[in-house]
Amino acid sequence: MTAGPIITPGDDRPGSLWRDAWRRLRRNRLAVAGLVILALLVLVAAFGPWLTPYDFLSQNLDARNLPPSMAHPFGTDDLGRDVLSRVIYGARTAFLVAVLVTAVALLIGVVLGAIAGFYGGAFDKGLMWVTDMTMSVPQLLLVVVINASLKQPITLWMEARYLETLNPIYRNSAIIDFVLVFGSMALISWPPYARLVRAQVLSIRNRPYVTAARALGLTNRIILTRYVLPNAAGPLIVAVSAGLGTAMVLESAFSFLGIGVNPPTPSWGNMISDGLRVWTNYPHLLLAPAAVLAVVTVAFNFLGDGLNDALNPKGQK
Amino acid sequence: MIAYILRRLLLWVPSVMLVMLGVYALAFYGAGDPIKLIFLRAPGDVAYDPVKIEAIREQAGLNEPFLVQFGTYLLNLVQGNFGNSLFSGRSVWAMISAAAPVSLLLGLMAMIVTALVAIPLGMIAGMNQNSRLDYTILGTAVTLWAIPAYVAGPLLMVMLLAILPKGAMPYGWGGLFSVKIILPLIVLSFQPIALIIRQTRAAVIDVMTEDFVRTARAKGVPERVVALRHILRPVLTPVVTQLGLIMITIVNGAIFVELVFGLPGLGRLTVQALINSDYPVILAVTLIGSFLVMASNLLVDILYPLLDPRATDPKASRV
Repeated sequence: MTAGPIITPGDDRPGSLWRDAWRRLRRNRLAVAGLVILALLVLVAAFGPWLTPYDFLSQNLDARNLPPSMAHPFGTDDLGRDVLSRVIYGARTAFLVAVLVTAVALLIGVVLGAIAGFYGGAFDKGLMWVTDMTMSVPQLLLVVVINASLKQPITLWMEARYLETLNPIYRNSAIIDFVLVFGSMALISWPPYARLVRAQVLSIRNRPYVTAARALGLTNRIILTRYVLPNAAGPLIVAVSAGLGTAMVLESAFSFLGIGVNPPTPSWGNMISDGLRVWTNYPHLLLAPAAVLAVVTVAFNFLGDGLNDALNPKGQK
Repeated sequence: MIAYILRRLLLWVPSVMLVMLGVYALAFYGAGDPIKLIFLRAPGDVAYDPVKIEAIREQAGLNEPFLVQFGTYLLNLVQGNFGNSLFSGRSVWAMISAAAPVSLLLGLMAMIVTALVAIPLGMIAGMNQNSRLDYTILGTAVTLWAIPAYVAGPLLMVMLLAILPKGAMPYGWGGLFSVKIILPLIVLSFQPIALIIRQTRAAVIDVMTEDFVRTARAKGVPERVVALRHILRPVLTPVVTQLGLIMITIVNGAIFVELVFGLPGLGRLTVQALINSDYPVILAVTLIGSFLVMASNLLVDILYPLLDPRATDPKASRV
């Protein structure tokens, strides 16, 4: 059985579950290290424009492919752009995509999963079937197909909107990229959330406090939103922290393959793919984005494992 | 037992068909008219001759309804005909059979490496739970799992640059017994190894509390024998069930490993097809990849009762 938050009789201090979890999390040194790294990342992403020493687009053809130095801590690339500035802007791209995709996937997953778990029936069967199938296809190939198929309709639709409104925003290729990346990523990211929420709801819906709420004559909607879902929050938080990491990796994977965020918008993925072309001569161009991405994904995993131990104390020794 | 396998197969075939239908529908409605795509690439008068286009459409069966076209595609598929590439005009099947051996050999080797490395390490970690050794192995596994192949590959190469001359960097395919395979193989195995280490460790911790392990120890069976006879066998069952997940990891990873190390396999074929909007190739590779994963899931379903008779015996209860 999956462990939801446990309600101990006689323990009525508000928020004590979260306080306990926080205490357990703080004891886990790797998780704290992950948390600190990710907090730094959020700060860097949020204050990027004020932190970057140079404009991420400004080219200086006199200073091409420079090795790391005091003026350019991560060196410069083939167009003389400052690599540190591009890495910082890459953090903005990565974070924006990860948060938006996770939010959309979470919303779809929670709504569908809760309805399926609470009401059951044909909807539940159908949903499980769909998630089973999408999860048995290699994610990346599925995304590749979705991406390839959505590109033309979206481009056509944007062009039609442009002709209708003459608003230049519809001709901005960066926006098409973002819509495509968000769309295909959100489409493949929601099934795990839906399954998790459904399993949680199934295990919670027959607990005594839910029966009590029902006996009081509360409506299904109130029972679901006030009694069932809050008690499913623990495992969901763990899943979200893992999901944010996965979404970030997916974005860089797309950009690496050339189907995600395209240059000149900086993304760690397209920086790695550019770096691969010249790495034997200029290893710093490859090392900087790859090392940063590696550190961030590892941080997400350590934090996720720590959260799992902290929020699901049953699994502990 | 035979009835069980038949039942599984009966459930499996429609699932595979539905996945194929879904993927086909995506490419069908998304790609638009394949003939137009061909003509847009062929400059000259042909591109604007509606009569010629219509004739070719009729001949290729593109005026048929969606389901009829899907059926025709499936029938051709069974005969090994995946259509022709929009980009090069070559038969998709020929392109795939040229690329597949590279990916298959690499994937198979990665599986062997994974089994040989990850199961012993997972057993060591599980049998020494919460020791320093356990934390080291587990920490390494989490790290290996987190870092994607297109990051691990470049990082390893940059590190190798410190000890190897530039010209000695592995790039391209030199066959199974060439030294060039070592680095791609290591990188491709990272994630499956991490996955199996964690699975094995968890299963070992579970089995260690069983009565038969305590009994064996109590009667003085040496620890080595306990590990190999009493713990390893029940641990293998839950590990084998991860075959489908390993397949997904390897198929996903192979795309990046092939790009990073310049291997002419299915992954690189997919990415080239994607850049060229070559739908027949994308469709074929996706179908093959999904089929591989679904086939491994089916294999696990069939193998499971053989490994663990309790799974199909209603009288026995799972622990």
